[in-house]
Amino acid sequence: MGADIRDRVVAEVGKVVVGREKETDLILTCLLARGHVLLEGVPGVSKTLVANAFSRCLGLQFRRVQFTPDILPLDIIGGFIFNLKDREFEFRRGPVFTNVLLADEINRAPPKVQSALLESMQEFQVTVEGRTEKLPSPFMVIATQNPMEFEGVYPLLEGQLDRFMVKVSFGYPTPEVEAGILKRNLSSMDLSDVRTVVTAAELDSMVREVDSVTVSDEVLAYLARMAEATRKESSLVLGASPRAMVQLLHCARARALLDARKYVTPHDVKTIASEVLTHRLTVDRAAALKGVSRNPEAILTAILDRVEPPR
Amino acid sequence: MVSNELVVGALLALNAVLYASLAFLALRLRRRKFAPSSLSEAFGDLELALKESVPGLPSGFTWEEAVARLRSSGVRTEGMEGALRGYEAYRYGGAPLPDLDCRGVADVANALGGTTGGKRGGGASIGR
Repeated sequence: MGADIRDRVVAEVGKVVVGREKETDLILTCLLARGHVLLEGVPGVSKTLVANAFSRCLGLQFRRVQFTPDILPLDIIGGFIFNLKDREFEFRRGPVFTNVLLADEINRAPPKVQSALLESMQEFQVTVEGRTEKLPSPFMVIATQNPMEFEGVYPLLEGQLDRFMVKVSFGYPTPEVEAGILKRNLSSMDLSDVRTVVTAAELDSMVREVDSVTVSDEVLAYLARMAEATRKESSLVLGASPRAMVQLLHCARARALLDARKYVTPHDVKTIASEVLTHRLTVDRAAALKGVSRNPEAILTAILDRVEPPR
Repeated sequence: MVSNELVVGALLALNAVLYASLAFLALRLRRRKFAPSSLSEAFGDLELALKESVPGLPSGFTWEEAVARLRSSGVRTEGMEGALRGYEAYRYGGAPLPDLDCRGVADVANALGGTTGGKRGGGASIGR
């Protein structure tokens, strides 16, 4: 069922977005693994469109919040409002009460607001003045940020970045894909053409099935060796945390399921490691000055090429 | 009395047979074909052949990466892909070792490391 669902979702999103099959696949993997996604890319590379089309084809409720410097936590999670008619305070739910929350340009909001999202991302619930409200299931935050902005932004701290299961980079399209985008825009295809191709029951069943995907002791040991290698890497000051490795494990299970398998292979782990780990690694600036690569992705690739998987 | 020509002829024939056998033996030793008896052994042989014959293949390679590399280099891997699926289910999924034909895997290993002299692995060279 997994491979079939992936094909359906990728094809449906592909109706309105050209050349983002890999990114769509990653977001689906993350949703099944109960994680959150950080989309990074310059403006105009279809980050929002992918997120919106993805929610539509899964029949999920979608809400978008544009993060700005003057936004308040109340604007995200909700709060108590005095009801003049009943003369009492009542809880008004914020836009976080949805299935897919698009936090657009998350790094434009101050840390207080960014932190307000943390409980919901980690605990799948919101607490305001002692009142705890569960969020709908499934719940996923898709946040976007522009890596080229340095003025008037509040970069996400390591602890906040760690809450995102995967970071998906949206680069510029290739000339062939760009031609496809231009051609697509000649016709009047819009988001309303995206149909729901996965039922709520199918999605729920898939999410639960991820837990039944087995992971052998040898693959677990491979993950542990990988974590140790990132922590011992001299060009990194911060390697992969245990939480990062747990998330990598869940992602690899979701990936196996989407490949119609009930077991994880080292290849599942290795292929998704870059998206799960790169944004959590901190490069040592002193090492970078000595000519070592400053690109955490290149460093991670070198580590992955060294760590021998079970065969 | 046997004539000298006959003796020389017989010796020449004997020499030819001897040298031909030696050449055949040397050729066989050079080829050192993999002949695994199980799927597990076949993949062990293939791993060895890959490590020795594929320059630039990192030590952290996965089976899928190795297959992709072989395919891009023109090595026919169709015969081993089904076996790989079964082997992985056994290796990582706890399924019983499938009773699959391991000739496809051995063929790939032989294409890589079975045509070498002295040490295994100097034969078919697979580029990056």
